[in-house]
Amino acid sequence: MVPPAASPAPQPTGLERLLAEVINPGLCVACGACLGLCPHLIFLDGQVAAPDACGLTSGRCYGFCPVAQRDVSRESQGPIGPVLGAWQGRATSKDLQGRVQYGGVVSELLALALDQSMVREAVVTAAGLRGTPQGIRVTERTGVLGAAGSVYAGGGALSSLNQALSEDSNHPLAVVGLPCQVQAVQAMKAHPQQPQAARRIHLVIGLFCTMNLPWRGLRKLLARHGVQAPLSRADFPPPPAGIFQAWSNGSYHELPLDQVRALSYPGCAGCPDLTSDGADLSVGACEGKPGWNTILARTHAGAGLLELAAGKGLLELEPAQPASMEHLTQAASDKRKRATAWSEERRHG
Amino acid sequence: MADVSKLAPGQKVLMQGNEAIARGALEAGVSLAAAYPGNPSSEILQTLADSARSAGIYVEWSTNEKVALESAAAASYAGLRGMASMKQNGVNVAQDFICNLTISGTKGGLVLVTCDDPSGVSSTNEQDARFIARVACLPLLEPATPAECLKLTKLAFELSEQIGNLVVLRGLARLSHTRAGVTPGPLPEAKPRPHWDPNERWFTIPVVPRHQVMLDKLAQAGELIAAAGVNYYDGPVRPELLVIASGSSRLYADEARRLVGAGGRVGILHMGATWPLDQELILEHLARADKILFAEEVDPHIESGVKSIYAQHVRELGLKDFYGQETGHKPPIGELSPSRVAAAMADILGLPWQETDPAYLAKAKAAQALVAPRQVGFCPGCPHRASYWSMKQVLSADGREGIVSGDIGCYTMGVLPTGYERVNAVHCMGSGPGIASGLGKLRSQGFEQPVISVVGDSTFFHAALPALVNARWNNSDYVLVVLDNSATAMTGFQPHPGTGSTAMGQAGTAVDVEQICAGLGLPYTVLDPYDLEATQEALYDALQIGGGLRVLIFRRTCALVQNKRGGHPWRMSVDPQLCRGEDCGCDRFCTRVFRCPGLVFDQATGKTVLDEVVCVGCGVCAQICPAGAIKARPKEATA
Repeated sequence: MVPPAASPAPQPTGLERLLAEVINPGLCVACGACLGLCPHLIFLDGQVAAPDACGLTSGRCYGFCPVAQRDVSRESQGPIGPVLGAWQGRATSKDLQGRVQYGGVVSELLALALDQSMVREAVVTAAGLRGTPQGIRVTERTGVLGAAGSVYAGGGALSSLNQALSEDSNHPLAVVGLPCQVQAVQAMKAHPQQPQAARRIHLVIGLFCTMNLPWRGLRKLLARHGVQAPLSRADFPPPPAGIFQAWSNGSYHELPLDQVRALSYPGCAGCPDLTSDGADLSVGACEGKPGWNTILARTHAGAGLLELAAGKGLLELEPAQPASMEHLTQAASDKRKRATAWSEERRHG
Repeated sequence: MADVSKLAPGQKVLMQGNEAIARGALEAGVSLAAAYPGNPSSEILQTLADSARSAGIYVEWSTNEKVALESAAAASYAGLRGMASMKQNGVNVAQDFICNLTISGTKGGLVLVTCDDPSGVSSTNEQDARFIARVACLPLLEPATPAECLKLTKLAFELSEQIGNLVVLRGLARLSHTRAGVTPGPLPEAKPRPHWDPNERWFTIPVVPRHQVMLDKLAQAGELIAAAGVNYYDGPVRPELLVIASGSSRLYADEARRLVGAGGRVGILHMGATWPLDQELILEHLARADKILFAEEVDPHIESGVKSIYAQHVRELGLKDFYGQETGHKPPIGELSPSRVAAAMADILGLPWQETDPAYLAKAKAAQALVAPRQVGFCPGCPHRASYWSMKQVLSADGREGIVSGDIGCYTMGVLPTGYERVNAVHCMGSGPGIASGLGKLRSQGFEQPVISVVGDSTFFHAALPALVNARWNNSDYVLVVLDNSATAMTGFQPHPGTGSTAMGQAGTAVDVEQICAGLGLPYTVLDPYDLEATQEALYDALQIGGGLRVLIFRRTCALVQNKRGGHPWRMSVDPQLCRGEDCGCDRFCTRVFRCPGLVFDQATGKTVLDEVVCVGCGVCAQICPAGAIKARPKEATA
């Protein structure tokens, strides 16, 4: 006789599993979705750590983690996700010139959302102590402009979103994030223990991303090249440049791309999303048009905000060039294929 | 402690063993007593310090045990009597001096008191310090009662002066703190004026002839001890079983023979002096018994000595059965007890023996289940808890598997859950920075883990300095954290060089940790460990810098000392509306992870409550509560 099969014990879905699947194998991408929820997960100098066992078998930390919850195939959607309208554009304000990444569209849209009280508070990433990127909460245009520009390093910014959501308050929120962070925000909105997320997060602006860098490694590499943190801005110019550009203290530096690439989070290799396809609006560099952004409006809320900005003359918009969209779609498809291959390889050892 | 110089001679009083040693030293006319605190010895020096003014003597807490014995030796060379007291570990610290002093010799009576700690109740080891008598060829006296503590201390000074060498008196934890009737004798009326005759010189060369002199002194001590009558026999003329015992074990043996009902069959040879062994007396009693049991703590010091004597006289003595460590009748580890000795006696004599009535044992076991298990832990408000908390958080966030090299003091408990088991190694005073220094030199061979050495303020002065100089000199890469609680807290708040006060309560010159660091060219930062954010930021930065020895001074007064100085500033409270209890987002973080005894998890409500009797109001827990439920308000505002 074959004994009846014992029903398997329910698998834990808390910190222990997050450690086993994501943090201990070094796959954490420092999005910050697990931070700010509890005292057990801490973030220092760009790195997530768990000094003590939390003792619970289920937790939001695991439920929010985009690496743990990653849906690599995403077969239901095309490579760049749902798109209501594709544009190329830039901010018209002279204030933003030189301070922003590419066309300044993200800063302008976010500032407008705050100006119009569409949202009352926004979570963005900015350089903190010793130049370490970190999440900050801004409530007005000047705060947004202060955080403009990217340094391409993980700052755990969603920690600030979790803090905002834990407060006894009801005002609407916006968040700007990388694809991993947009995925995490989607998970938050769907999580039964985080009902306030769906209620309060009214605007998600996603960024295009091919990879992100751990701040500690980047800082050490910069130091080896004589560049002192903090950086005011950084960029990967399109091929065949082969360099990483860094602006620090008003001076400009170039680092070899291969050295910077070698630093990138191992967990980024499994990310299938180039264009933050779960956002209201996704924004990235516009290929072949320096100083401009490519903008994908994905939801009616996103499209409405874009329209309002153009109507007020804050943005200069043009329909996206078909060739440019073709290249973007190809790049997104390639990223998804790489992620699928990486995940398969890990699964089969 | 009491001023024992004021006791009336001839009037019996209740005294601790350690107090009796102090009184014995006063009666012997000691002029200079020095010590480094360490349980179970600390009360000897404190009693002398508290008696010093009325007795007109000098008493000091020294920076370490070696310096204490050297100071006491100075009195000897000036023609006065000196004494140094220490715990067993201290004998190791003083050993280098002892092994040279024994060759150069002494003038005024000089006594070393070691208080050993079998079972290591308050020690990092249970070392039997009697080894020093054999290694350095020194007479060794072992009292069993407080009355003998007084008597043998006086004898030790006499003996020292008669042979011109150091004499060792060995106490034990039980004896140190046992109280019993003691009848003090008179104090000396006058003492000589200190003077070092310039024609007298004390050194060890030529070594070989002086080595012979040392041996001659030991032989002379043997004769004097035999004449002093401190070793004696108590029992039938021809006992079935002879017990040879010293120290507290003599009392255990006496009690054991009554417990097993063998009073008339067992004799006890009480050894008040165990080095050199009184060969004549031992041979006399070996001849009268065929079975011999040894009762002593911890090592087989008498056992091996007696067996050696027997081996030389086996033809005349015939065959004997010896019972002791080698036969398992005396455990090689841990304290002895009356029941342990009784079990050995019953086994040898074939008598029934049951330590405890089974019915009582069953009741005791049932009662034990009702008692909550307790762990040794830091006091409420202890700055060390906050310090280890920060180290735990920072080393985890650093992520390079950092190592903490520990040291001796309350903060040794960093190896235990109360210190988040954050300490990786602890050995002896000052060994922490030494080990860190070595680790910090393995960088070139691929050792990448960050290293922290923690030392208390008293340990810093006691034995850390040579290791720090070594690290500075050789450019070792680590972070020294001085856990400066401005007290020698573990041993009873004795002053130390940093506090500026002295054993006799007079103002000394405070020695400044910062100035020492500056003098060594070491970068240092002073932090308040109660400020978790600033402490963690500074520690993290210090770990990242690398490249040499750098110092963080975590300065915050011992919570117990602060309680005596008016307490802490905060009145703490827990808001049950905000407390998250066992939910995701906390899961009893304060009571399960941080674990200050001032916070208690209330099972009934599922919330944390404050134990207002235990909480001292340090305010640290308010910084770790994720919900802001633990609140710190100034005491004055709420009074």
